[in-house]
Amino acid sequence: MRVLVANRGEIAVRIIRACREMGLPTVAVYSDCDRGARHVRDADAAVHIGANEAAASYLNIGAIVDAARATRAEAIHPGYGFLAENAGFAEACRAAGLTFIGPSAEAIALMGSKTAARTAAIAAGVPVVPGTETPLPADASADELSRAAAAIGYPLMVKAVAGGGGKGMRVVDSPAALVSAVRTARSEAGSAFGDTAVYFERKLTRPRHIEIQLLGDRHGTIVPFVERECSIQRRHQKVVEESPSLAVAAPLREGMAQAAAAVARSVGYTNAGTIEFLLDEDGSFYFLEMNTRLQVEHPVTEMVTDVDLVQWQIRIARGERLDIDPVRALTPGGHAIECRIYAEDPDQGFMPSPGLVRAIRAASGPGVRDDGGVLAGYEVPVFYDSMIAKLIAWAPTRGEAIRRMSRALAEYQVQGIRTTIPFFLWLLQQPEYLDGRYDTTYLDRVLAERRGESFSRFSEGETEGVAVAAALDTFLRASARRADGRLAPARSAWIQLARREGLRG
Amino acid sequence: MTFEVEVGGRLFAVAVERTGHAGRFRVTVDGVARWVDASRMGEFGLSLLMPATGTATASGSVPDECVAAPFSGADFQVVPAGAGELLVSLQGRTIGVTVNGRRSAHADATLHGHGQVTIAAPMPGRVVRVLAAAGDEVEARQPVVVVEAMKMENELRAPRAGRIKEVAVTPGTSVEAGRILAVIE
Repeated sequence: MRVLVANRGEIAVRIIRACREMGLPTVAVYSDCDRGARHVRDADAAVHIGANEAAASYLNIGAIVDAARATRAEAIHPGYGFLAENAGFAEACRAAGLTFIGPSAEAIALMGSKTAARTAAIAAGVPVVPGTETPLPADASADELSRAAAAIGYPLMVKAVAGGGGKGMRVVDSPAALVSAVRTARSEAGSAFGDTAVYFERKLTRPRHIEIQLLGDRHGTIVPFVERECSIQRRHQKVVEESPSLAVAAPLREGMAQAAAAVARSVGYTNAGTIEFLLDEDGSFYFLEMNTRLQVEHPVTEMVTDVDLVQWQIRIARGERLDIDPVRALTPGGHAIECRIYAEDPDQGFMPSPGLVRAIRAASGPGVRDDGGVLAGYEVPVFYDSMIAKLIAWAPTRGEAIRRMSRALAEYQVQGIRTTIPFFLWLLQQPEYLDGRYDTTYLDRVLAERRGESFSRFSEGETEGVAVAAALDTFLRASARRADGRLAPARSAWIQLARREGLRG
Repeated sequence: MTFEVEVGGRLFAVAVERTGHAGRFRVTVDGVARWVDASRMGEFGLSLLMPATGTATASGSVPDECVAAPFSGADFQVVPAGAGELLVSLQGRTIGVTVNGRRSAHADATLHGHGQVTIAAPMPGRVVRVLAAAGDEVEARQPVVVVEAMKMENELRAPRAGRIKEVAVTPGTSVEAGRILAVIE
């Protein structure tokens, strides 16, 4: 079975790795600026599908299906993002006779609507965060909005029905801010998802974001896995994930896993999916949404359960039966942490830092996994998400995993662009992180308290060492230039030729 | 050769001399001399081995006690970043360094608060919010314009305190890299 990977960056590389281990040939697709990208170089074949703007390339359903036909691919893996949760894409694959490595178009469409997903969860007997059960009418008056909001209570969230990734989401603390929040959420949702529908949801004040990965085969078996803790978020975007969660003991894990499986079963879900929950301070949990795809943070689950989720996605799509021991899947073997390494400058408010990667050396060694997406010589483009790699550390205990991650981050070298590595080194030293005393509001709170000091901290001795290194570097480069100058071009061309000839002889 | 090196707001006077031994240099930092074994690895790597401070000697040869001394080592990466600035990385952390005071006039204005400073778009994107208007007083690091690029909303902040002279864009404006978004005086 030849697999076309309809994605780019680290996730395309990850999928190509799984295919290669299974002996399956792969086809990459790429936009103009991604010709030299790692996923293109790693795949067995590659097809140019369009211009840099995602709409012309990685979101271009026609071009991707044509690429699959042209290369006689039989299956398409969508990765995450781009077309991964686009029911129309899954349907187009089916219509073209291609196996879509993911859930059915119907399941994507159903769970893609946040309000329909909430309804499905309620029907499956799973608690949801109190909120409006249907989208707010597009022409709702200020009065109608106020009444709907009062029924839920403040603070509340205005959320896009088609939402995800923090887009089209607004927190409202008091009635005065309601109407303008609805207006901005609608406009953001419209430009991000092409759908302006929004709904209200109560805002828990200090929730944790806990999610359950699951796999479902085409024979009715659903296997839920050990939870992932994803509460370290910057502006609603996950930046560090781990498994298991310090906040989840075995009985709670069992409860969340059963709830997740019930939701998936109620919609006849197949392939890989994730049920996201909010865990309140009192230990009660609420269904948040379902992601009908592979998640960015899937490696932490793989590390603590020894299950290759991507290979299972492919096996399920081929019709195989799940034969994973459900007890083992719910028993964490050690502890795993993932840091999402972005091309961003944490010292400039996490400003994107696209550009040429002049050199890169990934971390390695015991318990370290690099899900990298770029190689030296590649220019990180401005058109897509800026994540360049995911670094994952595994160890028998959480404390050892944190120390191992710090060791690995210090080993990771990227030259030419700024990355979030110094930020992670700082975060992994914060007492709240070390003790696991954090919720989804933690990171934004501590970042807001900072006053522009650098995340890269150097001791006295190190600072002096940096000065010595800079001086020696300048000295050595000047010496090298003088040495080059002695072989001045016009005069030395013959000398160089003679030398080359001499060397050849 | 003597260099004036600025690291994180601190100035060092660093003198570098070759010795008779390849790869070994006599380095004097703020008057204190020591021996440094420097090895350039690849385009950016610079591995330094050096004895603890205090093993300095004024003589021209590598002293025996230095050869035998426990050397502490560090693996730096030094990348030229333009305008006399170097980016030096050590164990996952990075710091900007200037050698021989080649700080740009723009950076001086930024630091010392003279003249106008501008906020420019660092990359192509779309303005989603404008958080200050002409005439507003802003603090250093106060967000002024929010630009969406690379799927993230990025707050562009005032490089120093001052008064907004002009905001050149409105929400929805598509901007190229380098486009001036606001001027602070």
